[in-house]
Amino acid sequence: MEIRIDNLTKKFGDVVGVEDLTLHIEDGEFVAFLGPSGCGKTTTLLTLAGIYKPTDGLIRFGDRVVNTVQPKDRNIGMVFQSYALYPHMTIFQNIAYPLKLKKAPKNVQNEQVRQVANVMGIGELLDRRPGQLSGGQQQRVALGRALVKEPDVLLFDEPLSNLDARLRLTMRGEIKHLQKNLGITSIYVTHDQVEAMTMADRIAVMNGGHLQAFDAPDELYDRPKTRFVAGFVGNPPMNFLDVEVSPANGQFLAQADSIELPLGVERGEASAGHRGTVVMGIRPEDIQIVDEGDVRGEIFVVEPLGREDLIDVRIGPHSFILLADTEKQHRAGELVSLNFDMTQAQFFDPQTERSLLWHQ
Amino acid sequence: MTAREPLFDSAKSKADETPPSFQADLIEGLRLGFISILIALAAAFFFSGIVHPLFALGSVEETVMDVLTRLCLLALPFIAYIASASVARRYTATNISRALGLALTCAVILFAAISAGHYALNYGVFAPRPSLQMTLSQTEAGVRVETIAAGGAADKAEMQVGDVITAIRRDAVDLEAFNKRLSQAEAGAPLRLRFTRGAEEMQETVRVALVSDKQLNLLLPGLLFGLVFTAIIVFLPGHWAPYIALVGLLSPLIVGYFWVIVATFSYRTEGLVPLDSNDNFGGFTLKNWESIFAGNIAGLEFNIWPILMTSLAIAVLMTFVVLLVSSMAGYALSRMHFPGRRFFLSFTLILHGFPAITLLIPIFFVLLRLGDLPVIGDMVGFNTIGGIALVMVAFQLPLGVWLMKGFFDNIPWDMERSALIDGASRFRTYWEILLPQIRPGLLALGIFAFIGGWNAYIIPATYSIGSGLSNLPVFLNELIDETAPVDWNQVAAVGLFQLIPIFIFFIFAQEYLLNIYAGGTKGSS
Amino acid sequence: MSEPVAKPKSSAALVQSRRNALRSYLGAYGFMAPAGVLVIIFFLIPVAIVLYLSVTNLASSNFTSDLAKMEFIGLKNYQTLLNDQFARKIFFNTIFYVLVTLSLFNVSLALIVSLLTTHIDRSAGFVFRALWILPRITSPVVYILIWKRMMAEAPFGILNQFNEFLGQPTYNYVATNPWVFVVVVNGFIGVSFGMIIFTSAIESIPKDLLNASLVDGSSRMQRIRYVILPLIRWPLLFVVTYQTLSLLTSFVEIQLLTDGGPGLYRTEVWSLTAYHRALSNYFGNAQWGYGSAFAVLLVMIGVVLAVIYMRVFRFDELVAEPRVEAL
Repeated sequence: MEIRIDNLTKKFGDVVGVEDLTLHIEDGEFVAFLGPSGCGKTTTLLTLAGIYKPTDGLIRFGDRVVNTVQPKDRNIGMVFQSYALYPHMTIFQNIAYPLKLKKAPKNVQNEQVRQVANVMGIGELLDRRPGQLSGGQQQRVALGRALVKEPDVLLFDEPLSNLDARLRLTMRGEIKHLQKNLGITSIYVTHDQVEAMTMADRIAVMNGGHLQAFDAPDELYDRPKTRFVAGFVGNPPMNFLDVEVSPANGQFLAQADSIELPLGVERGEASAGHRGTVVMGIRPEDIQIVDEGDVRGEIFVVEPLGREDLIDVRIGPHSFILLADTEKQHRAGELVSLNFDMTQAQFFDPQTERSLLWHQ
Repeated sequence: MTAREPLFDSAKSKADETPPSFQADLIEGLRLGFISILIALAAAFFFSGIVHPLFALGSVEETVMDVLTRLCLLALPFIAYIASASVARRYTATNISRALGLALTCAVILFAAISAGHYALNYGVFAPRPSLQMTLSQTEAGVRVETIAAGGAADKAEMQVGDVITAIRRDAVDLEAFNKRLSQAEAGAPLRLRFTRGAEEMQETVRVALVSDKQLNLLLPGLLFGLVFTAIIVFLPGHWAPYIALVGLLSPLIVGYFWVIVATFSYRTEGLVPLDSNDNFGGFTLKNWESIFAGNIAGLEFNIWPILMTSLAIAVLMTFVVLLVSSMAGYALSRMHFPGRRFFLSFTLILHGFPAITLLIPIFFVLLRLGDLPVIGDMVGFNTIGGIALVMVAFQLPLGVWLMKGFFDNIPWDMERSALIDGASRFRTYWEILLPQIRPGLLALGIFAFIGGWNAYIIPATYSIGSGLSNLPVFLNELIDETAPVDWNQVAAVGLFQLIPIFIFFIFAQEYLLNIYAGGTKGSS
Repeated sequence: MSEPVAKPKSSAALVQSRRNALRSYLGAYGFMAPAGVLVIIFFLIPVAIVLYLSVTNLASSNFTSDLAKMEFIGLKNYQTLLNDQFARKIFFNTIFYVLVTLSLFNVSLALIVSLLTTHIDRSAGFVFRALWILPRITSPVVYILIWKRMMAEAPFGILNQFNEFLGQPTYNYVATNPWVFVVVVNGFIGVSFGMIIFTSAIESIPKDLLNASLVDGSSRMQRIRYVILPLIRWPLLFVVTYQTLSLLTSFVEIQLLTDGGPGLYRTEVWSLTAYHRALSNYFGNAQWGYGSAFAVLLVMIGVVLAVIYMRVFRFDELVAEPRVEAL
């Protein structure tokens, strides 16, 4: 089912939930809504579900305008953060509830529930109650309940945030696999950019009720169109630095206090055209500790992540986060040289926060 | 690398401190003791010096403040002992002799101070007591006057040494009875004494005087009592204290209900003692209980089972309707949009504070009219169980709606959303998804409603006059009104008969009742 | 920028939306209907009737159940009431009764009992609370009988039996201290409401918080003072306000206990007066109209208190908007 959201605005009194959102989702696509809490992603999801009434704009499922269609008539399935399993019903009754409401015959209910339960791997749990299940099992039940009525659209509201890290990894794979197999158009709300990056075909990044970017994960990572997107996508987050870009020796130079970084022509021209300082962004993996480098700094904190160390290097008043091999055994207080891979640097307008490299 | 530094300069190890000296502890104990004395005195003054005169201005004739004042002054030494012993209790586990020494020293000093206060203010053991200002001794002939204080009450009444008192008014007295009579007399009360002077029978009226004799020998038992009390406090395990306090506070009820139980199994009682027809201990009987089931009490014929059923019917019907109606309204107020929602919610709260009982008279008119309606009238009109139950439902509604709204508020919105997306209507969501989840709330409200319905008296009594329709409380009142003389032990048995099921019910239901705060009153916190 | 997008909201959609809203409102009113009907029949209509009765001279001598035939006498009942030499005394009696019972028992003792029962073994706490609930669930007739027996004169009274046992003089407590009697008897009933609310409030305090305060080094008394009491501020306020209104309107126990005596109105309270005047043949003639005037004044006081109490409870916070909308 294709979903077209046009100029959607949802206000609660004077409080803006989401404003002027336009988004076209292809049939069978897996789209993630990504953003910090309060960015309007859940509001959008609940408006799609028919729980909230749009203040303005149009929502189409296929050719049908669903603005005034009741939730039950939209043929959607939804998985909630809290799972929202009915605690007084058994797992079987939980999954069968949508079918019961559709007045499906008992034997059909029976058969479909068992089928879904087997797909979800919870066939043995049907007689239990939600309270007796682990978080991961509850998650599967919730997913089963959403799937059992063969919905046109699947909505996920941060479904994995209550699971422990290991389980989250497993479920991530399972949900994605399931979605691809069934080909159901899915919208997945999350504040975890790793989830969004790994699962979604396209990601809609939202902030403050506005759509920041709607693109494939690679595109968002490599060519962020706004500073917000650049900072939100990627872990550890991108380093930002106010620099002045000026031409020098046929090349360009990005300068901030004692830091001087040489810059290629293509990026240099795009950013030097802007008068005054611009915001430079550079990802932690694009900074290396080297024996001889352009810039020297002092290590402030070392956080061992296991495979690598997360290192906070201070250069004058500026702080850079970067990743280094654990075998190097860096220590706080150590003086190091840094090499910046400026071919990957991003530049943003400090006022509009839009990228100076990738225009829409 | 930086050296480890303490976060705050003032942080220092507690282990370095030496325990305070005996004197320092003594001073602290006395300080606490005197502070509590001052607090008790201030409370006493507050009751008798401020509150009492204020209400006296409004011509309220009350003695509550007087009693409270006396309680404060009575408790004053004990509070002081406890407060000062709290210092000593720190050493009970480690150094018993120090703990005891400390507490007893404090107690002696506090006792001395309190006694000095009593002496100066003519209070406590030094309080003036009724006296005729003469000394007496028991002789074979009667009570002989030994000495007479000059100018005293007896002197004024011209009593003489050597008179032998035989009676006060017409009651013959010995010395013990005389003193008891005297101790109960108020100041200025006239006592007409009959006595023999020589061979002559005479009588004189002596007016009772209040005399403070300040007998210091009365202090010793007080001091001993105080010391024993203090020692007990020092050694009392701390976790006993709440139990002792609870039993103390409950003692009137424990005694009272003990009496009811004794009374229902005996012919008659004096105080807590059951007596037989010869005023000896005994006289146990089952007749009070037997006659409930036999259906005849002092000539009043009845059948207990329909009465019991009426009680049960009112309570069950009312509980059921209260739960249904309040949960429906509570659901709408908690979960639904509609014009007037704000108004309904505030109106519920106003009803909450509505003295519904003042509407007894007009509701009588309403029920009369309802009774005239076809069909409905037979169910909910005047003199019907339905009508009575509905009135009581209405009175419980404000609390019920408010509680239910609170419980619905606590259910996550995702439950409701999930049900709506699954295809449920609002009613099915309410009935199949949300109601089962507020079971604790339903139970709590149900218990309140059931207890209310079971004990309902004023409404059934008012709206079922002369219909022969009575529940247990109404029947109990009929028993009192229509039998003469009233056999109170019989009444107590019927009352206990009514109490037992609801008490058992409550014991099992209490756990659920404690959920009430979880949803009920949390809304605004 | 591009040209403004034409508002795609068709009038058909608008009509559909309105229809949906209306249907959902009707649904909500459906849910409200049973409560609404009961409130109208047993609160609103009776209030109207009691207002009407208070301006008539309806009494048992000229009783009629036909509202139209009653004799209208204007505000005469209220005039009589204001000139009633005992009204002032009854008014202050009521204030005294409510304030003293509330502060000593319904709040203080209830708080003490719930603190004590939550600081002992849990099952023991349940037993003690079950005993405290006894006065509320005992039939008033029997409950009052118990207290009358407790306070009766020798040789029947339990208290006087103790006095005799201890060699103390005996008293006629009811005659000498009727107000003590009234306050204590009602107070013991009143304890249970606050006790239940406070206990459940204390039990709903997160255990972590209670343990944290002990770890931080506070004694149990300090924990009560600095953690528990501040956290149950709202239930405290709730009990104060709710019980004020309950006490204001309760009269059955006083009626059974002293019936407003001894002497002239010594323990008479306002609601009891309304009852006496209207429903009991106090002067051989039930004055329904005059009694209604008393009732109307009590209703007014109750409503005023309820409104104040809504303000105190920050009513606005109670009406958070529902988070499911009609489409």
